[in-house]
Amino acid sequence: MSRLGVFDVSVRYGKVPALTDVTLHIGEGERIFISGPNGAGKSSLLKAISGAVPTAHGRIELDGDLLTGRPPEAVARLGLSMVPEGREIFGRLTVEENLRVGTGIRRDADAVEGDIAEIYRAFPILAERRHASAGALSGGQQQMLAIGRALMTNPKLMMVDEPSLGLAPKIVDQVYDTLVALQEERGLTLLIVEQSSVRAGRVGGRMILLRGGQVVGEGDAAAFADKDALTEAYFGKTGKEAAE
Amino acid sequence: MNTAAQLFFDAASLGGIYAMAALGIALIFGVMNLVNFAHGQYIAFCVFALIVPSTDAVAVMFLGRAPAFLLIPLLLAVGAAAAVASEYAVFRHLRKATPVAMMISSFALGFVIQNALLATYGGRPKAISLWPELNTPVTVMGASVPLLQLIVILATLTVVAGLALLLKKTRIGLEMRAAAENFTMARLLGVRANVVITGAFALSGALAAAVALIMATQTGVADVRMGGQIMLVAFIATVIGGLGSLPGAVAAGFLIGAVSVLLQAYLPLDARPFRDAFLYTLVIVSLLVRPQGLFVPSSAKPRV
Ligand SMILES: Nc1ncnc2c1ncn2[C@@H]1O[C@H](COP(=O)(O)OP(=O)(O)OP(=O)(O)O)[C@@H](O)[C@H]1O
Ligand SMILES: [Mg+2]
Repeated sequence: MSRLGVFDVSVRYGKVPALTDVTLHIGEGERIFISGPNGAGKSSLLKAISGAVPTAHGRIELDGDLLTGRPPEAVARLGLSMVPEGREIFGRLTVEENLRVGTGIRRDADAVEGDIAEIYRAFPILAERRHASAGALSGGQQQMLAIGRALMTNPKLMMVDEPSLGLAPKIVDQVYDTLVALQEERGLTLLIVEQSSVRAGRVGGRMILLRGGQVVGEGDAAAFADKDALTEAYFGKTGKEAAE
Repeated sequence: MNTAAQLFFDAASLGGIYAMAALGIALIFGVMNLVNFAHGQYIAFCVFALIVPSTDAVAVMFLGRAPAFLLIPLLLAVGAAAAVASEYAVFRHLRKATPVAMMISSFALGFVIQNALLATYGGRPKAISLWPELNTPVTVMGASVPLLQLIVILATLTVVAGLALLLKKTRIGLEMRAAAENFTMARLLGVRANVVITGAFALSGALAAAVALIMATQTGVADVRMGGQIMLVAFIATVIGGLGSLPGAVAAGFLIGAVSVLLQAYLPLDARPFRDAFLYTLVIVSLLVRPQGLFVPSSAKPRV
């Protein structure tokens, strides 16, 4: 049984289809990259899995538990955590309060303090700013906070939507190094949206390519990085908008 | 007699009532973008809960007969229960509706409560006597003030401090603040929408009950219309304070209280009947100058 199973899932905003019959599987401890041009439906896929948008069709399972139709707070309780596009940190809360918001669902309450200490070890800058309001952090620090906050729910599967968005390459390196290290320490399953196949290839993992709301390719991220399938997905016959 | 002290106590006690009512509105607006215009009717409902249901002209005390140490928590619970019940009956079904649709429903709910009160208690205001001894004046700093004014000021401070502690130090408080800022993100982290919203309504209803106790003691009247005026002022306070900002609502409540007391004291005699016109002119000016609210710090905005 795979950790996450997505079966024939479609998502529509009104009449506009954003995802059409997407099927994918993620094994326990795996690292998956979702890539594809703007508007391909990457964020919509993550939102459908987390329960933030309803599915028009299809089924989603986490360790055999049905996620479809459940509200986000119930999905979170089943072990799924999300670092959304644009980070969405709580700017008026302090750094530490941000980390604690998601701990209410944990059954191992006595492990919370240890986990916070661990996040602070992984991101020392957060420890330094722990009592500062999170809105005053830089973009990179907010990204670290969003990752730490998602980890604090103690998830089985963590989804990260475009962690590199708007960050300097050096910071992106740091974010990915930490993600990989944390994954190895905790046996976490990771689903990451990453537009840069080069970046995904360097980090390593499996790659699923979305385009026009459908899965158009799948394989090893490193192999994908220089394959023309990707170029075609971006600049193919109808893919002009992606080139702009 | 010390006029400055007198004015201060008048302003602080009136402002305190406005601040508590405004907090009740801001709390709910914070978590669900709803301006709940039924808040005034929660207040009226709580006042009438003090007396026995009947259309007779003479009021017979009901809950109001209980000793203060019982009556206060009891009425706060009644207010909380009324607000939670209205959320359950009305607003829960409108979670996905537009803010305008929710606001209009809250007007409708207010009318329903008001008419239910009219049907049960009749339309004529009734004299009630709740803690009449609190209206006896005491002398503080050279000013002669009703004991109730001091209690109102103390009660407001207690309520504000208690609410601040609750929001800052408790799990539900943290969840409410997170949800007020970004509801979807809070839910993605496992915060239960129903718990947070029920909590906000319960607190809001309890605040309405606190205002009801004060108004009943102060005016000695139960009137189905009594929530309307204060609701209007409280709503204005939440707008001036920056919709959804709790400190803003408190500050603006006190500010409006202070300004109306000062206008009452210093306007020329002929202009005093039009005090509210002056007050609302100032409100308009303040909204023109700072449409986002007077007390919204720019540092609250997250840096991108
Ligand atoms: N809330 C919404 N309402 C209407 N349409 C939407 C909404 N969100 C997304 N869409 C549309 O759905 C499609 C998929 O959007 P989505 O955000 O999932 O793409 P994406 O692959 O994440 O893009 P990006 O790389 O820009 O983040 C797009 O055509 C987008 O315009
Ligand atoms: Mg996206």
